[in-house]
Amino acid sequence: MIKAQSVRKVFGSVTVLDGVDLTVAPGEVVSILGSSGSGKSTLIRCINGLERLDGGSITVDDFDVSKPRELAEARKRSGTVFQMFNLYPHMTALQNVTLAPVEVLKRPKAEAEAEGRALLASVGLADRADAFPSQLSGGQRQRVGICRALAMKPRYLLLDEVTSALDPEMTADVLDILAKLAKEGTTMVFVTHEIEFARTISSRVVFLEKGRLVVDLPTEQFFAADGGLANPRIAQFLSKMRKD
Amino acid sequence: MRIDLSLLVPYLPFMLEGALLTAQVCVLALLGSLIVGALMAVARTSANSLLRRAASIYADLFRNVPFIVQLFFFYYGLPEIGIYIDAFTTGVVALSIAGGAFTSDVIRSGILAIEPGIIEAAQVSGLSKRKTFTKIVLPVALRTSVRPMGSVFINLILTSSILSTITLNELTGTAKIVASDTFKPFEVYVVLLIAYATLTYLVSLLIAALHRRLNRDLGEAVR
Repeated sequence: MIKAQSVRKVFGSVTVLDGVDLTVAPGEVVSILGSSGSGKSTLIRCINGLERLDGGSITVDDFDVSKPRELAEARKRSGTVFQMFNLYPHMTALQNVTLAPVEVLKRPKAEAEAEGRALLASVGLADRADAFPSQLSGGQRQRVGICRALAMKPRYLLLDEVTSALDPEMTADVLDILAKLAKEGTTMVFVTHEIEFARTISSRVVFLEKGRLVVDLPTEQFFAADGGLANPRIAQFLSKMRKD
Repeated sequence: MRIDLSLLVPYLPFMLEGALLTAQVCVLALLGSLIVGALMAVARTSANSLLRRAASIYADLFRNVPFIVQLFFFYYGLPEIGIYIDAFTTGVVALSIAGGAFTSDVIRSGILAIEPGIIEAAQVSGLSKRKTFTKIVLPVALRTSVRPMGSVFINLILTSSILSTITLNELTGTAKIVASDTFKPFEVYVVLLIAYATLTYLVSLLIAALHRRLNRDLGEAVR
């Protein structure tokens, strides 16, 4: 269970997160929507401990991310996939995937490599395992990024606008993989601008505006005329996103 | 004027000994300045402001004082306060400290050039600070800093000739002796020119190979 309670985050004079509560239970796929600057990515970065909280608390399976010792445990339970991939440029796809299992989980190298190859094969990259990031397309890099997160067998997958840097064709490839993961019961927290996709895979949708969590509803209700759409800000946001 | 290199033949074993000493000093000093430089680069990019300031003072101090002055201070100055170090050790230490100041600059800029997201990816995957540094930060920084570091290293080899001023008979030191023995400075220094050029050329070849190896994913673009 990921539990965020009254989370506050301030950058200088700007309050980016202003008392956000969010609970994600195992098996859920929660999409976080909101216009840019609403605090979506910051919320993800608070959950994985990349940003320090200015108020409130976040626990991942009861491990408090603001305590250094517990953060290590919390991080073992969640995997993050980034918008800009952030692959290690000096390592092959396979090395990117096996680094943390070997160094953090102390898995035997041969075992980690066999699993890494299987993971890469599952996203259609069996023959690219020994390629370096600079030799891969954006879509391929992001698929490696997903494998790198999955290699740690996380209980929660945090996805921060993972298709925003990809063209539509590559986006489709990556979304297919995420859909498959969702079907397999992977718990995901999903920051995205892909509204239609969020609608198909999410069990819940939350909407952030100016650092406040405005709406938190089951997907059906969020997109229902008398549910989330009854909120004029959400209706406006959705119609704008669909036009783009 | 007649140029006759053959009259240097009897002195070759002596000069070779000097060359060997230069090579020894340089290998140790290169390693030393790499280690000092890497540590200082870490300190200068650390979150601890005290550490940052101390390392900056170190780099500024040793970059802004002529090497010969540093060397004389270590070799002739320190004995006055009771610290005696032999010429060889003094040479290696002085070169490592001075070279480390420049190397720290080069490595530091390599570290600052790293995409922060790459380091964040390592952090969230649970890698410890130390592992993040040895597995990600340093190798990625070296990709860009290995070439400028090569210039620093070549400079270090050239600077090692100054060690002849503290009684260390390395390549330049032996050449000076041979020149005054034979009264043939032209021939002696021609040999010296070629010897240093060969030594530094070998280092630049090595650096180029290392650069290619560290950036092997980029293929032709880095050749």
